[in-house]
Amino acid sequence: MKLSRREFMKTVAAMGAAAFLSTYKSEIVEALEEVKDYWHICWLNGASCSGCTISFAQAVDPDLIEILTSITVGNSGLPIALPDYMETIHPASGTLAEKLKERWKKGSKGRRILVVEGALQKPKYCVIAGKDFREHVKEAAEIADYIIAFGACACFGGIPSGKPNPTGAMGLQEFLKKEGINKTVINLPCCPGHPDHLVITLASVMLGVIPSLDKYGRPLMFFGKNMHDELCPYRPYYDRGIFATKPGEEGCRFKLGCKGPIVHTDCAIRKWNSHVSYCVEVGAPCIGCAEPGFPDKFSPFYKELPSLPTVLGVDATKLGEGLIGATALGIGIHLVRRAIGKGKEEEKK
Amino acid sequence: MARVVIDPFTRIEGHLRIELELKDVTTSTGTWQFVSKAYSGGMLFRGFEIFLKGRDPRDAFFITQRICGVCPAAHAEASNQALDHAFGAIPTPAAVLIRNIIQCAYYIYDHMIHTYLLVGPELGVLCKYPPMVPPVLGKKGLEVLGLGTSYAKCVEMQRKANEIIALWGGKFPHHACGYPGGVTVRLTNDRIAGTLARAVEIWEFVAKTMINDLQKLIEANKVLTDALSSILGVELKRGLGDIGVGTGNFLSYGMLPSEDPDDYENDWMAVIERPGRRKTAVIHAGAWDGNFKDFDHRKIYEYIKYSWYDGKEGYPFDGDTIPNREKAGAYSWIKAPRYDKKVYEVGPLARMINTYGLKWKIPRVHPITGEDYGDFVYEVMNPKGSLIDRVAARVAQTLVCANALVEFTIRLKDYLGTPVVNYKDVPDKAEGIGLYEAPRGALGHWVKIENKVIKHYQCVVPSTWNLSPRDSMDQPGPVETALQCGTTWLPKNMTVKDVCDAIYKEADVDLTAFGLGKVTWGEALATALKPLGLAELNMEPLGADKYNTSIAVAIVRSFDPCIACAVHVIDKKSK
Repeated sequence: MKLSRREFMKTVAAMGAAAFLSTYKSEIVEALEEVKDYWHICWLNGASCSGCTISFAQAVDPDLIEILTSITVGNSGLPIALPDYMETIHPASGTLAEKLKERWKKGSKGRRILVVEGALQKPKYCVIAGKDFREHVKEAAEIADYIIAFGACACFGGIPSGKPNPTGAMGLQEFLKKEGINKTVINLPCCPGHPDHLVITLASVMLGVIPSLDKYGRPLMFFGKNMHDELCPYRPYYDRGIFATKPGEEGCRFKLGCKGPIVHTDCAIRKWNSHVSYCVEVGAPCIGCAEPGFPDKFSPFYKELPSLPTVLGVDATKLGEGLIGATALGIGIHLVRRAIGKGKEEEKK
Repeated sequence: MARVVIDPFTRIEGHLRIELELKDVTTSTGTWQFVSKAYSGGMLFRGFEIFLKGRDPRDAFFITQRICGVCPAAHAEASNQALDHAFGAIPTPAAVLIRNIIQCAYYIYDHMIHTYLLVGPELGVLCKYPPMVPPVLGKKGLEVLGLGTSYAKCVEMQRKANEIIALWGGKFPHHACGYPGGVTVRLTNDRIAGTLARAVEIWEFVAKTMINDLQKLIEANKVLTDALSSILGVELKRGLGDIGVGTGNFLSYGMLPSEDPDDYENDWMAVIERPGRRKTAVIHAGAWDGNFKDFDHRKIYEYIKYSWYDGKEGYPFDGDTIPNREKAGAYSWIKAPRYDKKVYEVGPLARMINTYGLKWKIPRVHPITGEDYGDFVYEVMNPKGSLIDRVAARVAQTLVCANALVEFTIRLKDYLGTPVVNYKDVPDKAEGIGLYEAPRGALGHWVKIENKVIKHYQCVVPSTWNLSPRDSMDQPGPVETALQCGTTWLPKNMTVKDVCDAIYKEADVDLTAFGLGKVTWGEALATALKPLGLAELNMEPLGADKYNTSIAVAIVRSFDPCIACAVHVIDKKSK
C-alpha cells in the first residue's frame, strides 16, 4: 500500500489518528516523504539519564538511519527533521551547538518542535554553556510551535523527583505553568519514553494531526487504556486466581507488586525493542512509569497493591491516587487482604 | 589564563564542560598551539543516593538503572550483586548465565554505539575512513561513497543486541528482571533460540565489519603519523598512539563470572573479602601498574578538594558529603576517586590489560559454520594508554562479548528446568557490596540495610574515575592527564576542512554523483557539512582566534564519558 500524503490524511481523518497511526506505522515514512518543508527540532536534555535518547535510537519503521537519510526534504538530500540541537548524538559541540540552537529559534514559524528529555530542577543543578537549564527551556518554550515532553522525568519529574526530591525536580508542564508560559505540552511518559510514541507523535504533528490528550497531557492513543483491565495477556491468570508469589513462577504478577491495575499504557500490546517483550512478560511487576507520581506512588515496586480491584468491586484507579507504601494505608490494606484471603477460601469450598 | 571552553560537550552521556589552557610550541615548521592544562567538570547534579534512602532494597535495582540510560544494565548488575551479597543469596547458575547474557548483549550495544555514533565521527574524519563518518550526504552518500555504511549498520545491530536484553529483561533501556539471588524471567527454549538467532547475526557484524573497521583505522594511523609529524615538526612515532596518553595505571573489577557455584563463591564473591583477580571470570579484576596486581577495594578513596561538596573524604562507605555549589576553588559535581592514592584509568583498555596484558589474541571462529577468520591480535601501542588503544580495546571487548554471548547461551540450555532464583526474604539488617564493570569502567555499589529498608547507598562509577577533577593531592584526573599530555594539538583558525586538506592533499574523492568531480577529502567533508550548518564544526573561539578542538574532543570521547553516572552523592545531613 502506497499512500499519497492526501490519501494518508483522508484515511487518518476517517479512522481517527489513534487507530490509524498505531495500525499503519510503517506508512509514516512514505507519507512523510511528501512533506516538503524542513522541520526544526530542538531536543533539550535536563535532569535526565539520556535513556530516552537511547530509547529513541531503538526506533523501527522508520529507524534512526531512515529518519536521517531517507526522509528528506524533496530532492535536497537533507533530512526532513535533523535535530538542530541534540546533545547526546549531534555532531556539533560547544559554540557551534549553541549557535545551531539559535538557528532552530529562527526556523519557519509553525514548524519548530521542542522535545524535552529530563526533569527541571531548582536553579544551579544543571548548567549548560554557562546558562541554567531552566533558562534554556524557557527561551525555547516561548518560541516552540509544538512541545513534547519525552519520558517520565520531562513529563512529571520522574525518578529524580523521588522523595525527598533533593533538587526540586518537576515536569515540564508544571515548570512552564510556574513560569507563566501557558502552552500545551504533549506528555509521552514511560521510563524511558517509548520510541514508537515519539516517532508517531512527531509524524502526526508534522502531518497536521494533533493527538487528543488525557487530563495529564498524554495522547489517548497510547495511554487511554488500563493495562490490567484492557490489555494484559496475563489477565486470564488473574481471573482464575493463579498468582506468581515468588519471582520465576508463572501466573498473574499482581502479588509480586504489579501496578498494572492502576496504570494506563499500551506496553502490553506495543511491547519494547522491536516489539519483543515488556516488563511484565519477564516476570517482573509493572512499576508504573507511565503515570504521574512515579516512582513514589508505586514504590516499593515489589509491594502488592492494597486491593484486588474487581473482586471487591473497588475502583482501582481511585486506590491508586494514594501512596502505596504509606503506612497510613497499612491497617486498611491488612483488612482488605484478610477479606480477600477469606473470600478465596470460601470459593475453594 | 584564558581558556578554550567546550560546553556543551556533545556525543557523550550528560552535561560535561571541558576547559583547556594553551601553550605555544615553536618547531622547525612554525608555532603551534597545544593544550597545557585541562579541566573537566560535571554539570548536572540529581542526588540519587539521597532518594534511595528509606526504600525497599529491591527498588535499588530499578532506581539505580536510572542513574544512566546509556549504561543502565551495568548499574542493574552492580545493584543485583550488592543485594545478592546483602541478602546472602548467591544466584543460581541459570541466573548467572541469564545475567551474563544480558550483560554481553548490553556491552555489544554500548561499545558499538560508542565506537560508531559517539567517538567514531572524528576518527572517520581524521583517518579518512568514510564508513565511520556519519551518513551526512544522505542515501546517495551512503551508496556512492560508502559514507556512513558502518555507522548505519551499527544502528541496526545495536538494536538487535537490545532485543536480546528485551527477551530476558522486558525492555532496554531499564530492564526489569533482576532480583536478589537471581532473576524473575523464566528460562524457556524460545528465549534461548531468540537469543542465538540474534547473537549469530551480531557476531558476524562484530567479527567482520567492526574488526575490519578497526584494522583500517590502524592502517590509516600510519599515514596520519607521518602527516602530523611533518606538519607539526614534532616526532609522533605512534600517531594516535601518542595522543591522549594516560597514566599507565589501570583498574578493573572483573565481569562475566563463571556460573559454577564453587567459582562464583570462592573466586568471584571472594574479592569482597580479600584482594584478588577473579580469574574464573571472562574479564579479570586487577590494579595494573605495569604488572598484574591484585585488586583490593579497600584502597578506594574519594577526594573532594575541587568538587562542589563539603564534608569528610573517605572509602565509599565512610565518606560523608553535602553539596555546596558555592565552594571556593571547586569546578565539578564529580568527586575524585583514587586507588592507593594514585590516578587510575578505568574502561575497556583497563579490562583488556588486566585480563590479557599488553598483547591480546581473541579467536574469531564462526559459531555456526566453524569457519576460522583468524585470531584478532592487537599489541597495545602505548602502555600508558592512548586514544587509539582505548578505541581498539573497546572493539576487542565487543568481540570478547560476542564470543561469550554465544557460549553462555549454548551453556544455558543445560540448565532448562533449574531454578532462576535463590529466593531470600529482605534482611532486617545487612551490608552488601557489588563490584562489577560498566562499559566505561569499574563500577561499585555499596548498600546498608536497616529495618528492611535502605539506610545508605553509594555508587562509585567509572566516569567518576575517568572524568574526575584534580584530587586533594592536586593530581589531575585521567581525562585531564590525557588532554594535557603534550600532544593535544588545537589547530588555530583551521577548520575541519583545512586540517584534512593539510593531511590529505590529493583530490581523490569522486563527487561526480553530486555534480562536483574529484575533490579532496577536506572538500568532500565541507560539501557535506556546510548545508547542515556544520562548517564550523569543533571550532571554539578564544580572543580573536578560533581553535579546532577535533583532537581534544576525540581524546575525551575515547574515555566514553558518562556524566549522569559520574555525578552522585550520598549526603546524610541534608533533608
